[in-house]
Amino acid sequence: MLSIKGLHAKVEEKDILQGLDIEINPGEVHAIMGPNGSGKSTLGNVLSGRPGYEATGGSVLFKGQDLLELDTEERAREGIFLAFQYPVEIPGVSNMEFLKVAVDAKRKHAGLPELSAVEFMKLARETSKRVDLDASFLKRGVNEGFSGGEKKRNEIMQMMLLEPDLCILDETDSGLDIDALQVVADGVNSMRDGKRSFIVVTHYQRLLDYIVPDYVHVLAGGRIVKSGTKELALELEAKGYGWLENGEG
Amino acid sequence: MTQEVENLIKTDYAAGFYTDIESDTLPPGLDENVIRFISARKEEPEWMLEWRLKAYRAWLEMEEPTWAHVHYPEIDFQSVSFYSAPKSMADRPKSLDEVDPELLATYEKLGIPLHEQEALAGVAMDVVFDSVSVVTTFREKLEEAGVIFCPISEAIRRFPDLVKQYLGTVVPQKDNYYAALNSAVFSDGSFVYIPKGVRCPMELSTYFRINELNTGQFERTLIVADEGSHVSYLEGCTAPMRDENQLHAAVVELVALDGAQIKYSTVQNWYPGDAEGKGGIYNFVTKRGVAHTNAKISWTQVETGSAVTWKYPSCILKGDNSVGEFYSVALTNNFQQADTGTKMIHLGKNTRSTIVAKGISAGQSNSSYRGLVRINPGAEGARNFTQCDSLLIGDRCGAHTFPYIESKNPSAVVEHEATTSKVSDDQMFLCQQRGLDAEKAVSMIVNGFCREVFKELPMEFAVEAGKLLEVSLEGSVG
Amino acid sequence: MSDFQQQALTLAAEQQSPEWLTALRARGTDVWSTAKWPTRKTEAWKYTSLNPLQTDTPAQWASVDDCAWQQAIDPIALDATRLVFINGHFSREHSSELPAGVVRFSEADASQQALIRQHLGTVANTGEHLFVALSDAWATDGILLHVPRGARLEKPVYILNVATPEAQPAVSSQRVLVVLEDNSEAELIEHYVSGSEKQNLFVNSHTEVVVGNNAQIQHYRINLEQEDLLHVGGVHIDLHRDARFLGFTLAQGSRLKRIDYHVNHRGEGAHLGLNGVYLPRNKQLIDYHTNVEHRVPNCTTDEVFRGIIGDSAKAVFNGRIHIHQDAQKTLAELSNKNLLTSPTAEINTKPELEIYADDVRCAHGATIAQLDETSVFYLQSRGVTRADAVRMLSFGFINELLNEVPEQAIQDYLRPRLTTLFGESPQGDELGQMRYE
Repeated sequence: MLSIKGLHAKVEEKDILQGLDIEINPGEVHAIMGPNGSGKSTLGNVLSGRPGYEATGGSVLFKGQDLLELDTEERAREGIFLAFQYPVEIPGVSNMEFLKVAVDAKRKHAGLPELSAVEFMKLARETSKRVDLDASFLKRGVNEGFSGGEKKRNEIMQMMLLEPDLCILDETDSGLDIDALQVVADGVNSMRDGKRSFIVVTHYQRLLDYIVPDYVHVLAGGRIVKSGTKELALELEAKGYGWLENGEG
Repeated sequence: MTQEVENLIKTDYAAGFYTDIESDTLPPGLDENVIRFISARKEEPEWMLEWRLKAYRAWLEMEEPTWAHVHYPEIDFQSVSFYSAPKSMADRPKSLDEVDPELLATYEKLGIPLHEQEALAGVAMDVVFDSVSVVTTFREKLEEAGVIFCPISEAIRRFPDLVKQYLGTVVPQKDNYYAALNSAVFSDGSFVYIPKGVRCPMELSTYFRINELNTGQFERTLIVADEGSHVSYLEGCTAPMRDENQLHAAVVELVALDGAQIKYSTVQNWYPGDAEGKGGIYNFVTKRGVAHTNAKISWTQVETGSAVTWKYPSCILKGDNSVGEFYSVALTNNFQQADTGTKMIHLGKNTRSTIVAKGISAGQSNSSYRGLVRINPGAEGARNFTQCDSLLIGDRCGAHTFPYIESKNPSAVVEHEATTSKVSDDQMFLCQQRGLDAEKAVSMIVNGFCREVFKELPMEFAVEAGKLLEVSLEGSVG
Repeated sequence: MSDFQQQALTLAAEQQSPEWLTALRARGTDVWSTAKWPTRKTEAWKYTSLNPLQTDTPAQWASVDDCAWQQAIDPIALDATRLVFINGHFSREHSSELPAGVVRFSEADASQQALIRQHLGTVANTGEHLFVALSDAWATDGILLHVPRGARLEKPVYILNVATPEAQPAVSSQRVLVVLEDNSEAELIEHYVSGSEKQNLFVNSHTEVVVGNNAQIQHYRINLEQEDLLHVGGVHIDLHRDARFLGFTLAQGSRLKRIDYHVNHRGEGAHLGLNGVYLPRNKQLIDYHTNVEHRVPNCTTDEVFRGIIGDSAKAVFNGRIHIHQDAQKTLAELSNKNLLTSPTAEINTKPELEIYADDVRCAHGATIAQLDETSVFYLQSRGVTRADAVRMLSFGFINELLNEVPEQAIQDYLRPRLTTLFGESPQGDELGQMRYE
């Protein structure tokens, strides 16, 4: 699915990723943890092609093709989805319009016919129910005036509609209470089908109680410094990140 | 001096007023002869006289601007005296005892040292006073660095090529009515040249030319910062000057060549007129700088004086990546009127400008911000941010905002915000409940309101500017 | 006197009008003929040249009143009392039966005449807007909308002004007087529209609105005209105690389009809410001047204007708020945001505050910017192309104001017409409907 080798990336002239390697197979859930400033969020942004996040070395193969060669929207259509840590508010652009244009673009790319307005609205309503968002949110501007939890649920709803192959959840748990966290996690878990892969970026172990990862990686200084299974997350919770960083030395 | 001018002086002026260089003052009125007289008096070269005359002839064709939000009786330029040399020692007050006690009380509040008080009040004193040693060391230090800092009249004689190269290039003679008038009759002012790559070793201040204070009426200042140089220039004094001249029309030109930085700070507190609105200075000033590639020009002003202020320190951001800044506090009280602001003309790519203007109106005064932000088609990636805040103290004053924003480049970003507020009852109550009297509370709140601008001032200026606001606000709280 | 001034007077003299309007017309003629023709040095016309009027001085009064227009124009689908004017001429054929209180000046009865004489020309100020004088001079007819005390106009009044090409450049005039007595309520839609063929009309249109104590008007002024048309107009409003004027205006088209809103807060508790959108393209020029006079305490103003300027078009916005002495407790806010989408487009904006009272809260903001790159990325990261993202965001920028339009039929009319301005949308109409199924 995704093969990252020796990835270097910089943000505003500052080197953030410094030789990151990771291998993700279909159906796997990888958690990436690490202290603040370790480059956790940078990874998701580089993979989705955010302007200002520049890959300066290494390679990223996604489903066998060079991901870094693609434009942001091409990556999205190929099946990369980034759930934003801070979802953007776009007043005046209705959620419904936005979702339909995105879904149609994805379908067209896959050689499928566009959905009719009626079909799409039905689908959107059903999906909003799955993340416990009232259908009225579909008519509002994209994330406009949404609470933190509503924004995150809107992200998961988009993920469900776009049916990506690789979902990157960038600190999706930040700012969520337990109930909202449960809704988000249920949404994610319902999408685990043995083929779709996930990268779950988080600072806290808590999220991983709900979305149980196959692998846990610790990112520090722009590199994976330790990998393990879900028990590693518990160990981190108990010991903090300090012992790993010191080990890096 | 040319034969022609000499003849003129002999024939027209010999009998009347041309008596003693120590005390002469031209009778009111303006014509070409007056200009020839001024030029001759300053022993100027022929080209300078021609330059003045050209300005004068242009001025005759021009009309006094009326667009500013100020009202004053029509100025009769034939009743103004256009040359007044420093008063002789004999005419000055002999000691502080002879000086208006109200003025002294103000100096006291501002904490001005005695010898400075004497200088400010125009007390006759030996040419040498306490600070002369300061002046000497100061001169030596500048010379070492290659910095030229002298009266512009002296510069015209000693560095004619430099003056010729830059004078009038930023503010042309015909720029506007008052600039034309200034160009014709300017009395004196400062000339500064900072050589390539030199960081001026100290803040340049007119304080060090205190003996020339009385030349303010038609002051002309030219500052040239050569490539990569830095200079900070302080203008004005921090106590109300005893100046009876009704009309002031100064011109300041700044040239910041590639990579140079000029910081120009002003505290203006000329006589604002009395509490009934009688008297006071009319201050019509043209200040403008040109910033070349990677250069930066920063204007900071605290305006509390004058009956009428008309002043728009501006930046022409000619070079790519050049930066312009304008930080201003304009406080008006009683019947004062201030129409002040800035122009930021973005010509170069990635030029940036910041405008922070704070207007405080009290009494029956009016304070206006008038600004222009212009993005020309070539100013790719230009940025401007403007913040104008007005504070009203009392319900008989006015605060106004007239921002002109023009953009012809789609990649530019311009943001303008303006707010207006009063000193709130809650703020007052809080201060008073903590034991401050009303006046102190207002001055504290006003100081807070101005903090963004004050922090741009050189340290010692900032402290005095704060005190100055306090003095200027006296009597504004009923 | 300029050529156009002269020609306009000649045209005024040719026009017949009811006897009782002659005093107003004479007054207008007087002001117009002695007025100094505005130049770039005239502050109110600093960025807007009247040269198109001078170079193609219209030679005649518009004459066309056939119904060829119907092929090109489809009116807003409103359940309303409709009055149709073609090049300034009333078309009975296309208009509804007029209800009580809506009458043409030329058909006004004695009491209506008295009402018109009492108010006409008292709200619009010739000193404030020179073309009010021209409107006075040309006031041969007009429309009165009168809502008596406590009444509520059952249906909105929809004035549809259609322009079609004349044989020669021509002028037309429209004058509307709205008198809402205390506690009354009405909705008025003024719609100026033309087909897409080259137009040669100069339109001078002015509306005066008197809103009585605790009365309310919902007002729309939509100008969608072909780009060779010239249009100068104004909406002049007097708000009395607790009166409310809720307005929306949108302009597109015209080589010269100048629209003034002049608002007087005359009674305490009055409120002005005004949203505006301007979308000049090609070589169009759209100039909005708004002036709000807070003459009394405790009034509120909330004004939002947004513009998108493309191609070689030019926009001017001048928003003045004037708080008079003793107009304490005023709350006034004005926001103007602009998007330039072409290197040859131009925007000149000037939000002005003039304040003579201290216990007020006033703020204005003006911005000129591009689309937010983070938003563009957000859309792209969901698979939307950059071009589509730009289109959606541009439309979103004005759609925020469209969404606030209370009259659904107007939203439905404008949305598909405006989305196409920002490039072909695959689902344009469909999406417009989707939101409001």
